[in-house]
Amino acid sequence: MRTASMPGHPRGRTEAGARGRTRDPLAPLRRTPVHAAIIAICLLWMIPTAGLLVSSFRDPAAVSNTGWWEALTTPSEFTLQNYERVVDTNNMGRSFVNSLFVTIPATVMPILIAAYAAYAFAWMRFPGRDWLFLMVVGLLVVPLQMTLIPVLQLFTSWGLTGSFLGIWLAHTGYGLPFAIYLFRNFFGGLPREMFESASIDGAGPWTAFFRLVLPVSIPAIASMAIFQFLWVWNDLLVALVYLGGRPSVAPLPVTISNLVNSLGQNWQLLTAAAFISMALPLLVFFALQRYFVSGILAGSVKG
Amino acid sequence: MSGSWWRFPGRMLLILMMALAVAACGDDDKESDQGVSGGATTGGERLGGRVAVLGTWGGNEQDAFMAMVKPFEDRTGVKVEYEGTRDLNAVLTTRVAGGNPPDVAGLPGPGQMAEFARQGKLIDLATFLDMSAMQQQYSQDWLRLAQVDGKQTGIFIKTALKGPIWYNPKTFGSVSGGTTPKTWDELMALSDKIAASGTTPWCIGLESGAASGWPGTDWIEDIVLRQAGADAYDRWHRGELKWTSPEIKRAWETWGRITSNDKMVYGGKQTMLTTNFGDAGNPMFQNPPRCYMHHQGSFITDFFVKANPGLQPGEGYNLFPFPSFGGNGDAQVVAGDLFGMFKDTPQARALIQYLTTPEAQQIWAKRGGAISPNKQVPMSVYPDDITRQMAQSLVGAQTVRFDASDLMPEAMNNAFWKAVLDFVQNPGNLDSILANLDKVQQETKGR
Repeated sequence: MRTASMPGHPRGRTEAGARGRTRDPLAPLRRTPVHAAIIAICLLWMIPTAGLLVSSFRDPAAVSNTGWWEALTTPSEFTLQNYERVVDTNNMGRSFVNSLFVTIPATVMPILIAAYAAYAFAWMRFPGRDWLFLMVVGLLVVPLQMTLIPVLQLFTSWGLTGSFLGIWLAHTGYGLPFAIYLFRNFFGGLPREMFESASIDGAGPWTAFFRLVLPVSIPAIASMAIFQFLWVWNDLLVALVYLGGRPSVAPLPVTISNLVNSLGQNWQLLTAAAFISMALPLLVFFALQRYFVSGILAGSVKG
Repeated sequence: MSGSWWRFPGRMLLILMMALAVAACGDDDKESDQGVSGGATTGGERLGGRVAVLGTWGGNEQDAFMAMVKPFEDRTGVKVEYEGTRDLNAVLTTRVAGGNPPDVAGLPGPGQMAEFARQGKLIDLATFLDMSAMQQQYSQDWLRLAQVDGKQTGIFIKTALKGPIWYNPKTFGSVSGGTTPKTWDELMALSDKIAASGTTPWCIGLESGAASGWPGTDWIEDIVLRQAGADAYDRWHRGELKWTSPEIKRAWETWGRITSNDKMVYGGKQTMLTTNFGDAGNPMFQNPPRCYMHHQGSFITDFFVKANPGLQPGEGYNLFPFPSFGGNGDAQVVAGDLFGMFKDTPQARALIQYLTTPEAQQIWAKRGGAISPNKQVPMSVYPDDITRQMAQSLVGAQTVRFDASDLMPEAMNNAFWKAVLDFVQNPGNLDSILANLDKVQQETKGR
């Protein structure tokens, strides 16, 4: 199926490319203002992050007395002390491992469950399907803060507080509505003929799901994985409530937030900590970026 | 086909099973935790086990607390598992409501302590603390502040002075003529004199994220306590004295003499509203100084030193007490860190007992940044003269009152913060601001 649909793409692209080259030799020039504008907006957008990066290499007294741009003229004043203090903090390495231990299952579980559910919502007929789907979409607007106390009561009675299983379940629950919604719309856009010919070839729902739906939905799954990974990786509140800040289980955001005194002293350490905790999500993003971009394109072309 | 029909679900099942196996490991870990704490014995030489503590401290405060409990851990073998969060109120309320409170917790303030106590969540510490010994070590005021309906539901382990006015001795002498103002009138005369010379006398910063405005509440409290007296102060925070009453309104107007005059405060109202409380005092240390005086709690020295490395207590910064209003005696507004107990375990009892001792409290006092409420902590442990001076005025004051906004119900407290910002922005709206506070007072009183 996948191979049958592929030839359309390269052909379309070469046609467009040929047309561009023969009819409009000035096209690259014409696009220059657009590119310049995009680059300018990107740079503007990155200024706060750049400022944060520069500040993370500066002495706290210097940060509170002069702007970060003034540091660029005196690079000799840059120091690594913020990074050293963050890395030396007790428990930082353990927290990094804890964060991975929380984030990876909490990303895989909701995606797996949501894919099954979305397939059922998109391609299987059963009574009450639309109502059920409406309920799932409705859950999108429930603020997770409202669920903290009831879910915590449930976890307490089941003995799940402070355990990794508890926080995986919590994140799975919070991630499911959006994941099901995203996947259902993506799966729903797949051509009906694909399933019909598959079923003529004797494929049951399982085969159709694993051999057809999942492979062609890699872009949507990758997009969802990035969202969910970032959300869980950066989460402080859910971890603090269900998992707690015990050193043996505390994930990175909890440990990082404890670098700061109760009245906000030592905030300069947060600048360095922000870049340390950003490293892994950036890696994940760049690794999945290829799928991410084609995921957006797939949606737009389909519509 | 039938082979592949099974292959893919098989893989997924494998992943799920692995996940569950890992989860099971996590569970084992937890059960063994409980096993250890459950197996502890009372009265034994070494207690062992764990005690979970939730507090608001992070960074070097957390280090100080861990240093404070280190001798306890060594002696009893109890492991203190400290969790810190700056959003203590939200996390603690959620955990308590969810049935999963820590064993021992720092409490956000006496107001919230009373709420937990009335829900029956806090354990009466008098059931195991030697109260007659406590009365010798703590002043009556400090013990009473941590009582609810006659039960000792909390205990202070660290305190702070709210009222001092800070100055830079290197520049202040040239404008003050060598003396510090004793009364409010002298303070205003000095402020007017400095303002007339072209420099603003005051530095004020009210920004503090969602809690913006609280530095202003400290001003109002200091003024009410000394101008209207301790009795009016008590009726006010209990909700028995209206915000629109002459006593309270006069306090706002008194403060307004400073805030509503752009010549009085560095940068005027815009700077006041947008400057973080921690940075607000720094213009005192610039050359030439942008201001001469700054009103803030005892903790602010930490900020001074961080932003101006090399600043020494005494030479680099100094303080004088908040001035009095016509003869009202020596009064101090204070704040502090309260501890309460949510689960009655032998380890929690032992920890609370230990934290009240002078031995424990002087560890933090020695490191600086804390004043001990325990009278038996000797003045010599404080690291410098400034801290010693604050500790002395805290112990020696005739009248000690806790930060009123922290005693008010949470909704009232939040409205107070916001009212400060409104008042600084539009001093002319004072009547409507106070009327609005009265409304909140009415609403929160019924609860």
